[in-house]
Amino acid sequence: MTMPTEAKPSMTMSRRRALTITSVVSLFGANAVAVFSNLLFFKPRVTYGEPSRFRIGKAEAYPLGTRLPMTRQRVTIVRTEAGMAAISNTCTHLGCVIATTEIGFDCPCHGSRFDAEGTVLGGPAPRPLPWFRIALSPSGELEVDTAEPVPAGTFLKV
Amino acid sequence: MKSETGFLGTLRSFPANVWSSIFRNPLPSSDLGRSQTTFSNFFLHIHPVKTHTNSLRARYTLGLGVMAFSLFLILLVSGILLMFYYVPSVEQAHNRMLDLSGTVAFGVLLRNMHRWAAHGMVAIVLLHLCRVFFTGSYRKPREFNWVVGVLLLLLTLFMSFTGYLLPWDQLAFWAITVGTAIAGYAPFVGEQVRFLLLGDRVVGQEALIRFYVLHVAVLPFFMTVLIGVHFWRIRKDGGLSRPEGSDLPEAQEKNALALQAKLEGLAPKAKLAKNKTFGVMGVVRGPFTKVGNVPDNTVSSWPYLFIAELFVFALTLLVILVLAVVLNAPLEAPADATHPPNPSKAPWYFLGLQEMVSYSAFWGGVGIPTIFVLLLVLLPYLDRGTKGVGVWFSRHRLLATTTFTTLLLVNLVLVIVGTFFRGPNWAFVVPWEKPAVSEHAPAPPAAPAAAPAGR
Repeated sequence: MTMPTEAKPSMTMSRRRALTITSVVSLFGANAVAVFSNLLFFKPRVTYGEPSRFRIGKAEAYPLGTRLPMTRQRVTIVRTEAGMAAISNTCTHLGCVIATTEIGFDCPCHGSRFDAEGTVLGGPAPRPLPWFRIALSPSGELEVDTAEPVPAGTFLKV
Repeated sequence: MKSETGFLGTLRSFPANVWSSIFRNPLPSSDLGRSQTTFSNFFLHIHPVKTHTNSLRARYTLGLGVMAFSLFLILLVSGILLMFYYVPSVEQAHNRMLDLSGTVAFGVLLRNMHRWAAHGMVAIVLLHLCRVFFTGSYRKPREFNWVVGVLLLLLTLFMSFTGYLLPWDQLAFWAITVGTAIAGYAPFVGEQVRFLLLGDRVVGQEALIRFYVLHVAVLPFFMTVLIGVHFWRIRKDGGLSRPEGSDLPEAQEKNALALQAKLEGLAPKAKLAKNKTFGVMGVVRGPFTKVGNVPDNTVSSWPYLFIAELFVFALTLLVILVLAVVLNAPLEAPADATHPPNPSKAPWYFLGLQEMVSYSAFWGGVGIPTIFVLLLVLLPYLDRGTKGVGVWFSRHRLLATTTFTTLLLVNLVLVIVGTFFRGPNWAFVVPWEKPAVSEHAPAPPAAPAAAPAGR
């Protein structure tokens, strides 16, 4: 290994010192990388629970005015004149499953109420209910992805 | 001991030889012997050979530290026993809970002990923190041990929280759903922390195995290490705090004689040593510890300290046993992700948080608790006074005592309101006017058929 340019005599570094610094840095650097990789280990890349993407059948199965809660996937399928949408069933307050009604959503845990589009009407919920992407898959079935939020009011024309 | 020869002699002296090889000293009858007994025994040597009489005053320490450690030991033993039957799987966990009462001898008793000791430990650790605060014991040179203590409190809460999920009943499932949702309110990292904790976006099998590993391996490890540090620092910081002037010879003679008179008969008569014959057995920093030929108002740890500790441990175990026999730990219907009970409540020590969350999600769940914990950790570095250490509610610490008491009472009121005065929809209810309905009512039976989560 060659030394860096030596401008002043006081700035020079002996070969031994340079090698020491290099080895110490690489040794502890390797350790740090090992620790960091262990931190990444804790973040799962797949989850084993309900898949975030699932098919809900053809659009014809959902007549106008449908508000169908799917409790397992925690999403409500909505069909209006504007099209189809998937609105979250999980309360934005403390994560309870909320009941879907004809005119909105009611949380049984702490009394949050939402209108038909998920806007907070009352109770402790701090945010409106998120909407999820709903798309037409090549097979003609509708596919919901609860990992992909979309702006409220985004309908899929059918 | 006279030496015996021959095979018969070896045989005859066998028990005595084994005994003396384990216990190096005979039962002590002198100060030197008492010191050596403490010093040379692995389990006793974390104690000093001499204990200040103030540390033995029940009205000063209330025995809370030893109580907390006793509960930790009870939890360790009962927890390890429960591990023999528990399976951390969403299919089996709840059934295993039922099996404890059906097929395992003393299964219910062990589970009850574990549950009540866990709640008790949270409460006792909090009270211990109050004791240390109100006596000003966090002040120099004990600042860092206070910080270690606050970390131990947080670990205790986290231990209890992770254990809460394991029975996998409705109470567990929704308490953890609500509790982790509160964590999700932390800015920037909240959702990430929640995801890492649960291993998924909702509470399910991943959360159960994560909480299990944290509960039985990771947290107990850190807890054991920190408890070791906590005890070690007590010694190195000069023993338990005590009022100024309590080391003086005048106070010494009177107090020590009074204590000795009280404990007379417990041990061979121990004369107050004016001239100690033992040498330096440890060098300790701090202004309080005196090594050498100075009168210092101490008594031998053997037997006074050890009997006191044994008594507190036995008392704690007795209380837990009685509780475990009289009260059964609750077990509700199996967890059902599709039917939340109304209202869903976090564990009791987080109900103050949940109550605050119902007013403001961020401030109640994250902002105020963070400030409170930071204040606790930084307290000994903010309060640099030196007067009034070792005295309950000292006049010199009026401001600190008042502030702390106020915060404590506010939190207590919030916990009580959250526990007893919140009904369905988190509406205010008056408990004694309400018809008897379980707070965590099980899922309504006439529910549309929906597969429970994770099956």
